[in-house]
Amino acid sequence: MPDQQRQVHNRLAVLRAERGLSRKQLADELGINYQTIGYIERGDYNPSLELALTIAELFRLPIEAIFSLKPMTPLSEEIFREPPPGTR
Amino acid sequence: MSTTTTSRIEYLPRSRRRTLVAIALAGYPVAVAVLVGLKHASLNRWFVLAVFLLLLLPTLATLTVSYRYARGRMGSDRSCARGRMSGRRVRLDERDLSLRQQAYALSHQVLAVILIAVTAITEIYLTSGNTLRLDATNFWPAAMWVIVYLPALPSLMLAWIETDQPADA
Repeated sequence: MPDQQRQVHNRLAVLRAERGLSRKQLADELGINYQTIGYIERGDYNPSLELALTIAELFRLPIEAIFSLKPMTPLSEEIFREPPPGTR
Repeated sequence: MSTTTTSRIEYLPRSRRRTLVAIALAGYPVAVAVLVGLKHASLNRWFVLAVFLLLLLPTLATLTVSYRYARGRMGSDRSCARGRMSGRRVRLDERDLSLRQQAYALSHQVLAVILIAVTAITEIYLTSGNTLRLDATNFWPAAMWVIVYLPALPSLMLAWIETDQPADA
């Protein structure tokens, strides 16, 4: 296993802004320090599976909608993306 | 120390923190080396002591800053509780705990490197036909190093490894 941890991309900042939550408010909901939210949003800290699942539960979204190993595309692009021909 | 000063220390950029750690680690050995050097010169002993204390000041200052930076996050659970009470942190979350573990691991590595280097230098010195006499002049600086740095190493390493705090939003 490589020593270097893979970066986990996330949409935390977008979701937090969308719901009008400050870092402090979100941190209080999750029971962590508000700085940790900043570190996760910046990609400097990969949350534990437990914390990631708690965040997903809080936003009522599947975990893959918030965290991904690949860089994330804007949510609007994913929602309004044209389905591939023949899949409708 | 006021809350503003504590907050300013908490938000020190990593580059500045690393400079402070380097000063803290190098300060004492430099002060002792200068003291040993000046002892052989025929200078007033009070002057020598004043120079030694002056050289020691940056080390003490930087060690204090590092302790303040790591306050509430390193050490025993009781000292962490004191940090919590003073408002430095609400609690230690998973990132704090992981960072604390990394800081302890790094301080063990640094300590191992220093011990190996000191042993190797002493061995080379002794095998070159020299003799080493253990007396107060070389025992106390070494003992002081252990007393000052051993408890401070984890805090210094925490200040060294932590990335810059994200801007508030």
